[in-house]
Amino acid sequence: MALLSNASRIPLALAISATLLTACSNGEETASTSSATEESAAAEAITKSDVVEHYAVLAHANFEDALTAAQSLDSAVDTFLESPTEENLQKAKKAWLTSRVPYQQTEVFRFGNAVVDDWEGQLNAWPLDEGLIDYVKEDGYQYELGNEGATANIIASTEINIGGTTVDASSLTPDLLAELNEIGGSEANVASGYHAIEFLLWGQDLHGFDPGAGQRPATDYARGEECTHGNCDRRAAYIDAATDLLISDLEWMVAQWAPGQEDNYRSQLLAEAPDTAVQKMFFGMGSLSLGELAGERMKVALEANSYEDEHDCFSDNTHNSHYYNGQGVANIYSGSYTRIDGSELTGPSLSDLVAELNPELNETLSQQFEESMEALQTMKSSAEAESEPMKFDMMIAPGNEKGAEIVNGAIMALVAQTGSIEQAARELGIDSLKPDDAGHTF
Amino acid sequence: MQPLTKTVGIAALILAPISGVAGSQTETNNNAEQQWHQGILAGYRSLAAEAGDMSAAAADYCSTPEQESRDALEQAWLDAFLAWQRVRYVDFGPVESDNLAWQFQFWPDPKNLIARKASYLLDSEAPVSDEVIAESGVAVQGFPMLEYLLYDETLNAGNNALPAEKTCGLLRAVAGHIEANGKQLSDQWQAFRKHYLATEQYRDTTIRAGMAALEILEDRRLAQPMGLRGNGKRSVYAADAWRSGSSLRTMEATIHGLEQSFLPGLTRLLKESDQPELGPRIENQFKDVLEHFPKLHRPMTELLSNDDAFSLLQGFYVDVSQLTTLINDQAAVELGVIRGFNSSDGD
Repeated sequence: MALLSNASRIPLALAISATLLTACSNGEETASTSSATEESAAAEAITKSDVVEHYAVLAHANFEDALTAAQSLDSAVDTFLESPTEENLQKAKKAWLTSRVPYQQTEVFRFGNAVVDDWEGQLNAWPLDEGLIDYVKEDGYQYELGNEGATANIIASTEINIGGTTVDASSLTPDLLAELNEIGGSEANVASGYHAIEFLLWGQDLHGFDPGAGQRPATDYARGEECTHGNCDRRAAYIDAATDLLISDLEWMVAQWAPGQEDNYRSQLLAEAPDTAVQKMFFGMGSLSLGELAGERMKVALEANSYEDEHDCFSDNTHNSHYYNGQGVANIYSGSYTRIDGSELTGPSLSDLVAELNPELNETLSQQFEESMEALQTMKSSAEAESEPMKFDMMIAPGNEKGAEIVNGAIMALVAQTGSIEQAARELGIDSLKPDDAGHTF
Repeated sequence: MQPLTKTVGIAALILAPISGVAGSQTETNNNAEQQWHQGILAGYRSLAAEAGDMSAAAADYCSTPEQESRDALEQAWLDAFLAWQRVRYVDFGPVESDNLAWQFQFWPDPKNLIARKASYLLDSEAPVSDEVIAESGVAVQGFPMLEYLLYDETLNAGNNALPAEKTCGLLRAVAGHIEANGKQLSDQWQAFRKHYLATEQYRDTTIRAGMAALEILEDRRLAQPMGLRGNGKRSVYAADAWRSGSSLRTMEATIHGLEQSFLPGLTRLLKESDQPELGPRIENQFKDVLEHFPKLHRPMTELLSNDDAFSLLQGFYVDVSQLTTLINDQAAVELGVIRGFNSSDGD
């Protein structure tokens, strides 16, 4: 589907050679600007390679933060399991919410970088049929059509049989959870990752479009007679394994982006032609901005009034997931990232490159990023308001005009910025934004 | 992870300001656009007419619920739904306003939202009015809801099975909603003519619409249920119209619609290009694809469960892939059309 309105009719070959010329002349300029001030020389010296290298730095820092925050979550869960009080449950929930801030910003690295996309299912798969994991309210539990694992309840069963496959689940280890993902061939069978942990902390949100998130009692993890809903020991073992798996998965990804390694993804990416990596950057931004965030995560939920399509549905944290997704897209363009310790990471950016070729477009796009972040901020503020907060699942209720306006505002802003992202990509000579992983296994 | 993809929607919301900044064309060099506009208009008119017949058939069945009127209603539903399939590829222009495309067909629906919305409406005390339908969201407002009411096994085994009064009320209201939308779309498309012809960017937009429709047909409507994407599991629920067993008919109609209203403009452009021979090759490929019918007029469930039948589906898939390659890679490149982001990017 077309976004860009004034797509060029220039033949492809011509467009490419024009870009090559531009690239060459940039190089010459750089070499001959010795008399210019240091600052402008530095600005002009920025190349695609610099930008790609900084992209890798940014990815590394972002995944490192996601790991650090997940470690805090892991230790908060451990504390809760040692002493399963309501207070400790609240602390674990808070740690989960904090862990989403850096992670959601990393999602922009998914599209285009197959190493991330192939890996992320185990961490952030969604939506999930939670009856695979634990008890659910029988009445009104909607699961994916044809999913035989939707009510398997791993916590209550030491042996799982789904679609003819029998798995010994007597010991709930990280490896077992990884193995149980997509069991029976259904993508809704999500046994691990942020949303599985979210469900184990909050429980099902049974409030529909009304205020309120999941209300799992801390006693679901109590020992002995106080245990509610049965199998508290297995539930504890499950969440323990799920948080451990999250950490080892994140460690693996941090290593992929670490500098100074010869055989990791970063070295592979930097060895490619810079244009290939720049294409991945744009593809990640555009895909998250339009198809995923504006489309799947907002528009489908809104237009079908479907809280089953809410991203963080157990915790009602969807507004933050959306907000930090949007922030992740903006980070890639501006080359900046606010780390969880508050420090700022900045460096050569796509914005620098576009500014050199088309300052007006750079200004438009930067402005559009501000606007989309403002629209997402409106969503966040409304959901976090002290008095009568309106969470995402309330915004999408039938007949909630104000809610629809907030969600639509964010969608429109993201659509608008994606148009300029396309334009910027073309400005830098990136002609095809087709995903590189669209091949079939026929 | 969820490969949920609404086929039409958000992308071109910001498309063209009416003033047409992108420049205008003279009447002499936009013959392709004229052909497209006319072809799509014929398709929309057919949709409006079939939807009117369907609505009348629903009223008829509900007042005289007999086998004959039921058969007539099912046929009228299929005729109107196939009329929609023929123009489903058009993802720009008036069909974007009020999310008309999603209203006609909310798909896919992996969580069975349609069943949940239906049971909510059927169990509520309030009568199903046009206003209720208008406020109930896209899962309620289109052909899949009618298909659910006519063909869902669970529904038809219970007290709410047609012609139960409340269910008939829902059936008639949804059919009326589709009829009104069909008329609106046809009228607005006609009014859109001048702007469409005057705005150069619609050349590429139209070509991209055909490209996206083929991509969706190949990947989402065919490869996905066949288990050729993602986790490799065959699943009828990923297909269109599985309840009525008309998944393959819908694909036939989409391809037929492309052949009728998209292809003529495309071949005209190719004729003037450096590769005029591409046009006839694409025309032949359309024929090859459509030759799989009526042999493939079988329910998707049957085609997925039997290896002999599955091989028929594989043959069809190969021909569809070749058609996609010819248009999306070769013709698009020849005409300088660059794929942009579309709403099915993401996962």
